[in-house]
Amino acid sequence: MSEIANPPERQGSGLLVVLTAMPAEQLERALAKLAASFAAEDLLIAVPDTIAANSYPALRIVPTPTTSASWTLTPADFVNSYHLAEKLGARAIIVLGPESGSLEPSGLRALAHAILSTPVDLAVPCYDLPPHAGLVNSAILYPLTRALFAARVRFPLAVDLGLSLRMAERLAGAAQRFSALKQGERLVWPSNEATVAGFTINEFNVGPRTLPQPAEPDINAILALVTGSLFADIDAKAAFWQRARQSPPARYALPHPASQDGAVDIAPMLDAFRLAYTNLQEIWSLVLPPNSLLGLKRLSAMSAAAFRIPDSLWARIVYDFLLAYRLRTINRGHLLGALIPLYFAWVASHFNITDSGTEPESHIETVAAAFDADKPYLVARWRWPDRFNP
Amino acid sequence: MLNILATMLQLNPSQAPQPPNVDNTTIWGHMSDALHQSLYRVLSLLIALLPGILALLAALAVFTLIGMAVSAILRHVLSWAKFDDRLTRNRTDDWTPSTPPTELVARASFWACVLLGLIIGVSAFDTSYATGAPLPISLLPYLTHAVGAVFLLIAGTLVARFLARSVLIGAVNAQLQYARFLSLGIKWLVLVLTAAMVLDHLQIGGNVVELAFGILFGGIVLTLSLAVGLGSRDLVSRSLEGHAERSGERGIPPAAAPTPNTADSIRHF
Repeated sequence: MSEIANPPERQGSGLLVVLTAMPAEQLERALAKLAASFAAEDLLIAVPDTIAANSYPALRIVPTPTTSASWTLTPADFVNSYHLAEKLGARAIIVLGPESGSLEPSGLRALAHAILSTPVDLAVPCYDLPPHAGLVNSAILYPLTRALFAARVRFPLAVDLGLSLRMAERLAGAAQRFSALKQGERLVWPSNEATVAGFTINEFNVGPRTLPQPAEPDINAILALVTGSLFADIDAKAAFWQRARQSPPARYALPHPASQDGAVDIAPMLDAFRLAYTNLQEIWSLVLPPNSLLGLKRLSAMSAAAFRIPDSLWARIVYDFLLAYRLRTINRGHLLGALIPLYFAWVASHFNITDSGTEPESHIETVAAAFDADKPYLVARWRWPDRFNP
Repeated sequence: MLNILATMLQLNPSQAPQPPNVDNTTIWGHMSDALHQSLYRVLSLLIALLPGILALLAALAVFTLIGMAVSAILRHVLSWAKFDDRLTRNRTDDWTPSTPPTELVARASFWACVLLGLIIGVSAFDTSYATGAPLPISLLPYLTHAVGAVFLLIAGTLVARFLARSVLIGAVNAQLQYARFLSLGIKWLVLVLTAAMVLDHLQIGGNVVELAFGILFGGIVLTLSLAVGLGSRDLVSRSLEGHAERSGERGIPPAAAPTPNTADSIRHF
């Protein structure tokens, strides 16, 4: 970590905002938004040391070590944030990821207020996204996190976070473990860490936001990375989530913008699923029980208009893949690759359901409820994988 | 029968002149001697090897028993010391084996003992072989080659299965209609390569194997190329045309994964 030049005059007074690596124009927009949202003396802003600290004289800026730009928060971001906050004596941290200039000032203030004025250790934003955005999150990340960790977090992989100092320390510790194990690509799951540590989490509606997209256009690789990382985190925290927990309270309804995305052509996704059904049955049969295979057979024969994956079937499929990941039934790379066509099938089904008039958020909540209901199956097979095979 | 043969072969001194340096022993006598000597050599060899074989079996049996005992003791001691709980509590990485660590340690100790017994037994057999009568064929080196060939075969089969699955999943996710065919082709390429290596390792076939391997390997590659390049050309051209049209109409860059047609692009993340 590089030395901090020009330490601020007033230290330990409050909020440290850490902006992660992002393109220069995005950084400028983020700084402008911060200047519009807060009084300059109320916060310190840490930016990658590629820009001069005196470029924005109205703001108190300190440099932070440059990390490689990523579409999500990296372990290095958490480590740097904590070290910087400790050095500057900050009470709380807001980490803002790429494209954070698209956040509303009210959303930024909500995060800052939560982390400074309420006993919250982890303030997680809830974004108003278009219905066709954040689909991996809606299909896998949110339902799994909610069911297993009983956390009311709609975006477990949020790119903006409010952290108390002890939460930042916890996340930095987790990130350093990955670095020590040379697993720099692993993602840190803040809500899971907070739940295991017994810290307070709250979610705040921050309005619309442009989510950064992976630079790599191959969704197969990114999906495998994200899902694999979550599966590994769940595996590592198995002793925690196997204990029975109170179900999370119902989430408040999101003020969802009207869909302007138009009709979606689901044919390519269905083609991908049907092609996989004819070719990957041998691999799926190693992972999925006969009931799920029968369900997939029925799905493969459905017409595009009638294509619907039952929520319980989707929950069971994800749980069985999670179990196979844990048991190493097949190579983990192969396993996550075999999940991709099934994810496309879920997306096609989701679009069909929302096109028929169901609110997207309502369907996602129903899916998450199916994961909650099927959790005993996962726990039973996790503990006794050989004894319980319906 | 043998007597008749000997009588038939016995030469009449009145019909043919006696060679000056041939003794009176019959051919049957020579054959009988040769057979006796051969039998004697083989029996001597077996008798010489028998202690080695017995030593191998005895060492294996004794060390298997020792392994079972060590494994049971370790299992009890580690369970008593709550080894699994301690390891889980002190663990810093995310290594989570499906079998409890105690069981893993017990099994590892058992198989280590068996392996030790095997090494000692083979060593004893080797010593016996070295001091015994020479074998008509080099048995032990061939045995070593055979073990190496078995390992090659196992490794080749595993690699073939791994690559076949990798290609199958990758091709399906890239929406290639001939994914299964491609996967099978890769699998057989590796299997043919493995078979050739195994036969070469066993020194069976010589040049014939190399020639056959070259023909088979080249044939499979040519078949794959023809099938993909010519047999599926309509499919490929249709696929490419469709893809280009979709990309041109909606401004979506071509990607390996199926990118659905939307008025506004879908964002998976």
